[in-house]
Amino acid sequence: MAAREYFTEHRRLWLGLCSFFFLVAAWELVLTYIVPVNPFFFTKPSLIADAFKEQIQSAKLWHDLAVSSQAFLWGFSFAVIVGIPVGLVMGWRRRVEYSLDPFLTALYASPLVALAPLFIIVFGVGVLGKAALVFLLAVFPFVFNAFAGVKSTDSLLINVIRSFGGREKDLYLKVILPSTMPYIIAGARLAIGRGLVGIIVGEFYAASEGIGFAILQAGDTYRLPDMFVGIIILSLIAVGLTELMRKLELMVAPWRASDEAR
Amino acid sequence: MASFIKARDVSLVFKSKDRQPVTALSNFSLDIAHGEFVSIVGPSGCGKSSFLNILLGLIRPGNGEIHLNGTRITGPGQERAMVFQEFGLLPWRTVTANVELGLELKGIAPAQRAERATELIKLVGLTGFESHYPHELSGGMKQRVGLARALATEPEVLLMDEPFAALDAQTRDLMQMELLQIWERTKKTVLFVTHSIEEAAYLSDRVIVMTARPGRTKDILKIDLPRPRDYEMRLTPEFNDLKLHIWEVLKEELTSRG
Amino acid sequence: MKLKNFYTEHESFILGTGFIVFLLILWESIPLWYTLPKGMALFFTTPSDIAAAFHRLLLNGELEKHFYVSAIAFLAGLGLSIVVGLPLGLVMGRSATLDALLDPYVTASNATPRIVFLPLLILWFGIGIWSKIAIVFVGAVFPLLINTYVGVKNVNQVLVNVVRSFGASEWQLMKIVVLPNSVPYIIAGLRLAIGRAILGVVVGEFFGSSQGLGYMIASAATNYKVDVVFVGVAIFMALSVILTLAVKQLESRLASWRPETAKTF
Repeated sequence: MAAREYFTEHRRLWLGLCSFFFLVAAWELVLTYIVPVNPFFFTKPSLIADAFKEQIQSAKLWHDLAVSSQAFLWGFSFAVIVGIPVGLVMGWRRRVEYSLDPFLTALYASPLVALAPLFIIVFGVGVLGKAALVFLLAVFPFVFNAFAGVKSTDSLLINVIRSFGGREKDLYLKVILPSTMPYIIAGARLAIGRGLVGIIVGEFYAASEGIGFAILQAGDTYRLPDMFVGIIILSLIAVGLTELMRKLELMVAPWRASDEAR
Repeated sequence: MASFIKARDVSLVFKSKDRQPVTALSNFSLDIAHGEFVSIVGPSGCGKSSFLNILLGLIRPGNGEIHLNGTRITGPGQERAMVFQEFGLLPWRTVTANVELGLELKGIAPAQRAERATELIKLVGLTGFESHYPHELSGGMKQRVGLARALATEPEVLLMDEPFAALDAQTRDLMQMELLQIWERTKKTVLFVTHSIEEAAYLSDRVIVMTARPGRTKDILKIDLPRPRDYEMRLTPEFNDLKLHIWEVLKEELTSRG
Repeated sequence: MKLKNFYTEHESFILGTGFIVFLLILWESIPLWYTLPKGMALFFTTPSDIAAAFHRLLLNGELEKHFYVSAIAFLAGLGLSIVVGLPLGLVMGRSATLDALLDPYVTASNATPRIVFLPLLILWFGIGIWSKIAIVFVGAVFPLLINTYVGVKNVNQVLVNVVRSFGASEWQLMKIVVLPNSVPYIIAGLRLAIGRAILGVVVGEFFGSSQGLGYMIASAATNYKVDVVFVGVAIFMALSVILTLAVKQLESRLASWRPETAKTF
């Protein structure tokens, strides 16, 4: 009875887990007993698991991850340092908003990844080219979310602070900053996704190391299990970082019930 | 009294957010005559709205049954219609299209629908606003649309779940008077749930006071005031005595909850 | 005085276009006041060079050929993602069981940059149109699915009760309440999906194609034809802006019943 209740309470979790294990099992069984696997074209969970074990013990995977992370962190940090101030100024100063908005909106809407080949050729296949690409893709969510955060500040709250004799400094510290922070973190979540695209495309395009390169190389040499390992690791990193941002969002703004379903 | 609506021992238990079972209604019984105007008042959470939803056929009671004109209620039916507290208008439909909703689901032809809708829009005094969207209307106008929509399918029973609670005081007074006029003209059976003692006393033939959760009938008061009732009637000593009486019955329930 | 009035009335437009014009003039004038070192000059181009390259490629028909190839992959992939994403989003929104069963895959795939699947898709579908359609699809399907899902989930329970109380079937409920309620969300999803689809076309053509605008950019870059690179980038930019504006237009037309514009995310 208790077990049954436990199941109904966590029904969602259990169904999700069952669905996952069923899929993995079906994948393995079909390729083992029904359709013989063509190793150049497809692979199965047991082979991926073997490759996974092998890879996390090898130095190469860690080296690749370090190389990619380095470029990512450089680009991402610069996106933060440049994007947030630009967005804040756009939110505070109407004329700056008017001047920059059409230009930046057009860039934000564009597939700037199209500049990847040029960036790699100009800045080289190393850290610089990839970091520049990450910066270019990740900077806009920071700009526009910081901007939206300032814009969405409740003017009633500003009047409240003023009515208690608060000064300009108090406005920024007590109203504008707290109400902008959640937006910036939501921007960071978007920026992470875009930044990862920058790293991957950069490394697909031209690289001799890095996780994107590892995936591409595994594909080129028909090492499908290794390729899946790369994809899974990248996926785990992406999910982990996204979740981290979500947690951070709750920490910074616990008063905001998560209005987005996921 | 021949009862048109007959509820017997209706009970309802639901699970709250922290998964504790909550008894909303416990052995609640009720008889309403045809053409009668009955109000239910009671403390918040006493299950009065749940009872309306059971009567409407949206919720199944855990126990007990409700008969309407001798037939047991098992689901929604066109002889009952509800006016909702939050209006419940489809925001993407115009006034006319909102009023037509029930007719449309009944499968009535568009021409007849439009004719009937025009008639009802006139009845609730919204002529000229047919092609407005809900967000362009005031609260009072929205609830007029809600009333017209409920009346459009010609139900025999009109269920009203705190229909005027979201309106400002003056609009509320006005809507109460208009509801009485419409009721006197159409002679529907009305079951009206409210928090307002004054509203209940002013509109009804009988007022049912419910206990705190789990909801049961605490007292039934007959309102023997002459009809048609006007606003001035609310200033008479008789009316105030009635209000005081209802208040005294209700107060025990409110204070017993702490 | 009149001029001043004109300025205040159109301030945002004047400043916005003024800034872009200013940037273009600045860019164009760089060679006039600064002599680039040899190495840098190789990578440098000016707006007028880009315009000339555009004109040249337009006349010799090369642009048209590449554009056509890219457009097909874009439309096919996006169309497929609509056909799959919308119904799946609707069903997941209405059925808690299916939602629980599929959620792990949707969440994980949505958080992963879908570009990472490109080598796998090229392996499966080969170089050419099919791998491109596949990568466009994989990119565009999740924003559509998730936004539809959120739209269905966010349906007002009172409206559901209203329609149910008139004896509506599940199908009628879907048609009368759930679907109209999801429209603004679906459109917001479409806007995201278009961006992802274009990204898919670009990157797909970098690696898995010998035709199309993305290929044109990649091959021009290897040959240091920087002006051609910018022609390609400018076309993608223009297309993105035009499509985004078109969807916004659609949004405001379909949501005329809304007091404020639909929430976008």
